[in-house]
Amino acid sequence: MANFTKLSFKKGELNQKLADLFKGMMEKGVVDALLAPMIQPKRGVMLTLVTDPSLVGAIDPFAPVVPVNGARIASSITGKPSGRKTAMVLRSCEIRALVELCKLKQAHLDDVLLIGMDCLGRYENLDFIKLRAEGQSSEAFIEKALAGNTESGGCDVSGACKICEFPVADNVDLRLCIIGTGSDALYIESLTPKGDKALETAGLGIGEAPAGREAAVQQLVKKRKDACDAAFAQYRESTPSVDALEDRLANCINCYNCRVACPVCYCKECVFVTDTFRHNGDQYMGWADTFGTLKMPTDTIFYHLTRMSHMSLFCVGCGQCTSACPNSIDLMPMFKAVAQKTQARFDYQAGRSHEEKQPLTVFENDELVEVTGQIK
Amino acid sequence: MAEKKPTGTVLVAGAGVSGIKAAIELAEIGYKVLLTDASPQIGGILAKLDNQFPTDHCGMCRMLPLVGREYASQYCMRKGLYHENIEILPFTELKSVEGDAGNYTIELLQKARYIDTDKCNGLGECIKVCPVEVGDEFNHGLTKRKAVYKPVPHNTPQMLLIDMAACTKCGECVKVCPTNVINLEAEDELSTRQVHAIILASGVKLYNLEEFEDAKSWAVSPDVVSSLAFERIISGSGTFDGTIKRPSDGKAAKKIAWIQCMGSRNRRQKRDYCSSICCMFALKEAVLAKEKGGDDVETTIFYMDMRTFGKDFYQYYEKAVDEHGVKLIRCRVQGVMLNPDKSLSMRYFDSETQEFFVVDYDMVVLSTGQVPYETHKKLADLLHVAINAQGLLPTDPYEKVKLIKPGMFLCGSLMGLTDLSEAISSGIAAAGQVSRFLSGIDVTLLEEEEIPEPTAKDRDEPLISIVLCKCSEKAKESSVDFNALGAGLKKLNSVGEVNIIDMVCSDEGKQTVLDLLSKSKCNRLLIGACHPFMYRKSLKNLAKKAGFSASLFEIIDLSSIVHKGFFESETKDQTRLAYNEIRAVIENLKLKPALHVETLPINPAALVVGGGIAGMHAAFSLAQRGVKVHLVEKSDTLGGYAGTKIEHTIDGLTPISMAKDLTIKVLEHKHITLYKNCEVVATQGSLGAFETKIRDLAKEENFYLNHGAAIIATGGHEGVTAEYEYGNSDQILTQAELKDGLTTGEIDVGEAETIVMIQCVGSRQKDGREYCSRICCIGAIANALTIKEKNPEARVFILYRDVMTYGFAEQYYTQARLAGIIFVSYSLENKPKVELKDGSPVITFTEPVLNSEMQLSPDYLILSTGVDAEASNRDVGKAFSLPVNGDGFFVEADSKWRPVEFLKVGLYVAGVAHSPMTLKDAILQAEAAAHKTYAYLSGRKIHTAHVISKVHHAICVKCQRCVDICPYGARSYDEVLDRIIVDGATCQACGMCGVACQNNAAEIMGFSDKQIMAVIDARLYRDPVATTAQ
Repeated sequence: MANFTKLSFKKGELNQKLADLFKGMMEKGVVDALLAPMIQPKRGVMLTLVTDPSLVGAIDPFAPVVPVNGARIASSITGKPSGRKTAMVLRSCEIRALVELCKLKQAHLDDVLLIGMDCLGRYENLDFIKLRAEGQSSEAFIEKALAGNTESGGCDVSGACKICEFPVADNVDLRLCIIGTGSDALYIESLTPKGDKALETAGLGIGEAPAGREAAVQQLVKKRKDACDAAFAQYRESTPSVDALEDRLANCINCYNCRVACPVCYCKECVFVTDTFRHNGDQYMGWADTFGTLKMPTDTIFYHLTRMSHMSLFCVGCGQCTSACPNSIDLMPMFKAVAQKTQARFDYQAGRSHEEKQPLTVFENDELVEVTGQIK
Repeated sequence: MAEKKPTGTVLVAGAGVSGIKAAIELAEIGYKVLLTDASPQIGGILAKLDNQFPTDHCGMCRMLPLVGREYASQYCMRKGLYHENIEILPFTELKSVEGDAGNYTIELLQKARYIDTDKCNGLGECIKVCPVEVGDEFNHGLTKRKAVYKPVPHNTPQMLLIDMAACTKCGECVKVCPTNVINLEAEDELSTRQVHAIILASGVKLYNLEEFEDAKSWAVSPDVVSSLAFERIISGSGTFDGTIKRPSDGKAAKKIAWIQCMGSRNRRQKRDYCSSICCMFALKEAVLAKEKGGDDVETTIFYMDMRTFGKDFYQYYEKAVDEHGVKLIRCRVQGVMLNPDKSLSMRYFDSETQEFFVVDYDMVVLSTGQVPYETHKKLADLLHVAINAQGLLPTDPYEKVKLIKPGMFLCGSLMGLTDLSEAISSGIAAAGQVSRFLSGIDVTLLEEEEIPEPTAKDRDEPLISIVLCKCSEKAKESSVDFNALGAGLKKLNSVGEVNIIDMVCSDEGKQTVLDLLSKSKCNRLLIGACHPFMYRKSLKNLAKKAGFSASLFEIIDLSSIVHKGFFESETKDQTRLAYNEIRAVIENLKLKPALHVETLPINPAALVVGGGIAGMHAAFSLAQRGVKVHLVEKSDTLGGYAGTKIEHTIDGLTPISMAKDLTIKVLEHKHITLYKNCEVVATQGSLGAFETKIRDLAKEENFYLNHGAAIIATGGHEGVTAEYEYGNSDQILTQAELKDGLTTGEIDVGEAETIVMIQCVGSRQKDGREYCSRICCIGAIANALTIKEKNPEARVFILYRDVMTYGFAEQYYTQARLAGIIFVSYSLENKPKVELKDGSPVITFTEPVLNSEMQLSPDYLILSTGVDAEASNRDVGKAFSLPVNGDGFFVEADSKWRPVEFLKVGLYVAGVAHSPMTLKDAILQAEAAAHKTYAYLSGRKIHTAHVISKVHHAICVKCQRCVDICPYGARSYDEVLDRIIVDGATCQACGMCGVACQNNAAEIMGFSDKQIMAVIDARLYRDPVATTAQ
């Protein structure tokens, strides 16, 4: 299909090319604003909202870091829409979470030109800052990662990225493609009439798809899927019982960082910070009575299981929970493995489409009869 | 002082579902009801049915009132009926009726049960020792019972009785009875009562294999059973624990056949009627047989016509055939033969293959119908009226539930065997007629006991008063040590006092409790007693009188623990069991918030949308009872389709002139305001306070109407088609065009040789009207008979798929065949073909008996194009946020149990807006919808329940999952307020919103997570005190 625009660049000029592209888009009125990863002086790379076209120079979307899942940011900006046309450059995990947030009416894409970018993985924030300090550039990372190696200076991309089967973002208007495009070109693919219009207004021509792309994407997806299956198998083997689960979560300190980092935990105020979990002294004593001892703080497994019941149907496996944990509890495999099963039960996949209704939001007379014990 | 007016009292004779429904409707608006039944139990046929289509679940409780739940017990209706205003008299016959309208003296004969059921504990020690065994009527003789027995095994409380015909008076039961309530010498009691109106709901006699000569040849084996007996075979509480085994030897039944029309549609036996319900009954049973018996069960139904005429019936039929693989064979089987291996052989002719087959079955189910006339004659004599020409009770020509004698009404299967939906709507309609009648005579309503709500002391530190009832009358030797239990509970934190008293249900018991509590310093109350669903209201009132807020009060069913009445516990230590149970309740009670009921502001005005006959009837019915009505009609004439287009019907009705009379009544009535050329645009609000935006199409301006409730009666019209060359020849007409032409004389059939009619044009097929329009078969027959009358020589062919002359309309089908009208069936796969030759239609079809192709060149080709929903239904649906189905008809709350209601309380549907129906059925529905409306606008106080769902706006993120999931449509998002709104009257506190909401911004008041967790903790707590309580 002929809906690709080729953007050739010389080594070291990728970000400059992208800056020119978005500057042009803003000047030509395709969009009024841009949300994209930008280089912060001495502070790594963060999503930044730009309304002045002359200031897009710091753009660095392919920097291998996601300090915050951008779905949360997109939700902040569009939850109560401003009405201003905004381009948002996000990764697959961010966009899939954003799709769920849209269904939950926490984000609105009417004024958004959604731009997905091929993702080869992200480093943990501190690792990324360290690698940057050592001089690693985004282009260098892309080159290495496309060759199959993401390990660098003793750091590697996050576990979630290694098993992510969505390196390419769906449900977007435009896609920034770097997989299978050759090392000197980036392709912009348009997937919607909105995308077509944007390219046209920006004065970009339309051409053929890069020849090797499809095969390259498939190969990468296959590799990640295999890794994912292996990770699930390992998780399930290592956590066969409630006791094993207790061990896995033993160091939880109820800081709730994982919940704050989770892009689909969308409540204004979590039930775990309400009075429901503010117990009286005799409650604690009662629990202690029953077993003789009581590990503090309480309600840690309860918290994780409650969160799981709330969000596993929307979980996109971005791994921000693991990244956020101060005690290095690897939560991602647990949530992602459970999510795989809960979502499969409803033939649902978080972030797959805007049209599919979220499970358990429509009242059905007959549903889950095998677990509800409903008899006729 | 003037003499006190009597309380309006109504006899409802017959406690099947229609009678129960009528009784509840009247009791709810404050009349006193005597509900009698000739049998020892209530519930009628429904007591025996576990599953009803289309859901294939039971939904009987859906007939209970939804608003004011606080004031009416909510319980499983298969256990029984409990209502303060209804006096239930089972085993009671109506012996005589004397007097005039509004003042009847009746004699009731209450037959002896030989057991005082008020004092019987229902545990059945007597049953164990009774030596006599006879066949159990409840299970159709498939099981045995004793002479002393429980008439319905799942009733609560159990209403035991002794079958004196079987009893040997050995006296064993008297000896073992722990409560001394058996009196073998008891006698029937005759009493005289005064009533102001009477509803007859005694149903119809059913055809059975024991009594009728023509049935006996079928009963060759115990494995030939009636459809009702089969219902018991597959019932979980039935003969084989829900698995399907044949009665003769208990072997699994894998091949089962149904034979339709047993005892019905048989002119020789003077049973020239269809029993209406058997086709769907058989389809449902065949589906259930597959579901319960497994995929290897084969089900075959032998039928003459599959009469799937009601709403959603055809879809169920499609599902049964396509999804469940139920096999249908159109053939009247002549007999069944018993083989040596006990299998049953049947020979049938397959018209598709033109061959005879002999097939063996494990079991044969006979779809037995009604036997009406005998019961009707007896009743007519009792009421001093003459039966009509058909042998039925004489009713108003348009109003099926209204007897010609004032103050007397009927409902349910007395009108002819009715399905559940009609039983329910006729019950409501009969109640509506009674309420209209009583509003015109000098009677009053029962006064509700008004007890002021005490100030809730939920801010104080919880201090609980516990009252435990020993219930010594029913349990001489209790397995619980009450003193130890009380001592154990007293030690608990927050328990202020424990009082153990006797017989809380008695007047003295109540007084004792009241005296005790009035002195109490506690702020929360727990009562342990039996059957809380029966005593909830009176105990709640008791608590209120003693100063305890209803929401800080809990009743626990102590009897199920103490008497092991409901379940056999493994735990022998009943005291400990009771202790643990009560402890968990205490933990919950401690955390309960004070909740308040809200008295809804009710605007006593109704909006009726649609000025057809149904709309006008509903408007007039309401206006007659003093309700202000806004009647909105989008055209400039009243009458709708039937009232402007149909001169007369086959059963002698004249809709146009009837509509004219009704129009005058509507126009003259001071309570009715008519808005012509107007349509609804949008509405907001909830029960009691709706505001609807109306568009005046003529003036092109909008205005607003305020109303407390609304009835949607937007009607429908004859279907349109482009099939069969319609529109391309003036010899091709619709049935309505033919009827019109015949009436005006514009169409002359005097010279016509051949007329062909095609039924189901564009109907009952997936891509068309996926439903039966109910009226076309009868309409076609009416036109065909008119043609034959004008020109006896004319050949009239009716090409049909199934002739839907259900009920007593069967006689017109018979009449048509006798008049020489030729009926030829066709199938959906092999439709007739129509071509035009020189502008005239030529029709080709297969004659199924000869299996040969025939061609006719008729003078006229008449198409039965069915009934279409009004196109505006979708807009009206949108305006009221009401669901409209794929065919354009409104979707009611529940097709069986709430046929004229919408899920949103305060909105109702009547007539063709619901589905295609006859004029009489539309009027019946209009009466029912008007009554449901009246029930809220009558002036009585309407309260929300204590327990409803609430929004904590501060933490709500407005994701609207609660709005999507609410099965009652009680939640909505208000864009202006940017808030989720809960309609307190519609909310049933089912808790789905609480499940959908992640952080408890949606919460069911009184069911907070904290309470639930406290209960769980209490149950898991290893308690040192419990051991000392022993």
